[in-house]
Amino acid sequence: MANSKHKDSFLAGIVKQNPLFVSLLGTCPALAVTMNVESALGMGILFTFVLCCSNVIISLIRKLIPDVARTPCEIVVIAAFVTITKMLTEAFLPELYNSLGVFLSLLVVNCIVLGRAEAFAKDNGVVDSLLDGVGNGIGYTWAICVIALIREILGTGLLTFGKIFTFLPFVEIPVLKFGSVNLAMSFFVNPAGGFLVLGVVLAVIALIQQRAEKKKKFKKVAEMKKIIHEEAK
Amino acid sequence: MTDGLRIFLAVLILTSLLVIFVVSFILYRKTPLPKGCEDMQPSEEKCANCKEEGCHLNIYAEKKKKENEKK
Amino acid sequence: MTPYIYSFLLAIVSSMLVDNVVLSRFYGICSFIGVSNKIKSAFSMGVAVMFVTVFAALICWPIYNYILGPLNIPFMDTLTYILVIASLVQVVGLFIKKYSAPLYKSFGIYLPLITTNCAVLGVVQSNTDTALGFGLSMANAIGTSLGFILAIVVFACIRERLEQYNGNKPFKGVPLALVVAALMAMAFMGLGGIGA
Repeated sequence: MANSKHKDSFLAGIVKQNPLFVSLLGTCPALAVTMNVESALGMGILFTFVLCCSNVIISLIRKLIPDVARTPCEIVVIAAFVTITKMLTEAFLPELYNSLGVFLSLLVVNCIVLGRAEAFAKDNGVVDSLLDGVGNGIGYTWAICVIALIREILGTGLLTFGKIFTFLPFVEIPVLKFGSVNLAMSFFVNPAGGFLVLGVVLAVIALIQQRAEKKKKFKKVAEMKKIIHEEAK
Repeated sequence: MTDGLRIFLAVLILTSLLVIFVVSFILYRKTPLPKGCEDMQPSEEKCANCKEEGCHLNIYAEKKKKENEKK
Repeated sequence: MTPYIYSFLLAIVSSMLVDNVVLSRFYGICSFIGVSNKIKSAFSMGVAVMFVTVFAALICWPIYNYILGPLNIPFMDTLTYILVIASLVQVVGLFIKKYSAPLYKSFGIYLPLITTNCAVLGVVQSNTDTALGFGLSMANAIGTSLGFILAIVVFACIRERLEQYNGNKPFKGVPLALVVAALMAMAFMGLGGIGA
C-alpha cells in the first residue's frame, strides 16, 4: 500500500501530470533557456535540485509551523535553496550561470516549486515529498529538453555539446547543417520561435490526448454493446 | 565594522523583513472584504486550476474545506 | 536638467518597446497566458503589476546599494527582494481592501498572484545584476511595466476575438494563443534599435 503510493506520487509528475505540458506552469524558463539543449538540461537539473530540497525541508517542518504563516515560511525556504544553488552554480559551472542569467534567481517564484510545496509537501511525508519532487523534476526536465531539442535543431542545425558543460568534449552534431547545405532557420532561436514551438508542441499533446480519449470512449461503447448483446441472448 | 557586528546586522535586517512580511500577510488575511465586493463570482475557466490561497474566490480552498468537514 | 529628463523618458520608452518584457525577455508568461481572456481583467492585471514593480524597484535599489552592499552580503539579494515584494503586495492589498472597494473590485484579486510573477522579481534582480544607477533602474521598472501592460492588453484584444474560433480542435485555447504571441513577438522584433 505504501509502496504503490510512493510509486504513484513519483510517476504522476513525469507524464500524467507533467508540470509544463499538462498544468502549464513554469513556462517562463521553458521559453527563455531552451535555446540550446545544454542550458535546458542544466536548468532542469538545478530545478530538480531546488524542488527536492525545498519539498523535503517543508515536509520536515510542516508540523512546526502554524497554519497562518505557511506561505511566508515556504517562500523563505525556497529562497534559501535558490541562493545556495546560485552560489554553487556560480562557483562550479560558471558558463551555465552566465547562460541562465536571471532565470536562476527566478526559480524562487517558479509556479511549480511553490505549487508543489503548497499542494503536496505540506500534507505528506518526507519520502513522498522527495519522490514527488524527483518525479516533477524529471517531468519538467524532459519537457524543456524536448522544446530545446526542436529549437536548437531547427534553429541552428547543429546539436552542440560541451559549450556549457565544459567537462564534456566539444561535439557538434550536424543535423540540418552539413557541408555546404544549411537548412537551419534562425527564427527558432529567436523569442518568437520559442512561442511558436511551445504552441505547436502543446497542440500535438492536445491531439494525443484527444485520440486517447476517443479510443477510451470507443472501447467503452464496444463493451456496453457486448454486454447488451449477451443479455439479449 | 567587525565581522560579528556585520553578521548581527544582516540577521537583524533579514529577520525584520521576515517579521514585516508575516505581519502584513496575517493582517491581509484577517481584514474583511470591502463593502461592494461580496457578490464577486469566480470564473470557471480561470479559477479552476488556481490554488492561490490569498484569493477569497478560491474554488480549491472551498473544496478542501468540504473534504475536511466530511472527514 | 533637460538632458536628464530626456534620457529618462528615452529609457522608459526603450525598455517598453525594445526587448519587451513579455515578448522578448519572457518574464511574465504565466499570468500573460492565464489572465488575458478579457481586456478589462488584462488591463487590471497590468496596472497591478505596474504598481508593484515601480514600488518594489523604488524600495529594493536603496536596500541593495545602501544596506546589502556595505554589509558585504550581496548574495542575500534574492531572499531580500522576494521578502520585500511579498510584503509590498500584502501591504498594498491591505490598503486597497480597507479604503477602496472599486479598486479591489478591479484588481484586488490579482494582487496575491503578482508575488509569483516573474516580471517583478526579474526586473528588480536584473536592475542590480547589471548595476544600474537609481534613475535608470526606475526608468527600467516603469518602462518594463508599461511594456507588460501594452503586451497583455494587445494580446487580450486578439484573444477575445479568438474565443469564437471553432476550427482545428488541438489548437484551440492555449496553443493558438501561443502562436498569436509568436506573431506579436515577431512584430516587436522590428522595434529593436530605439534608444541605445
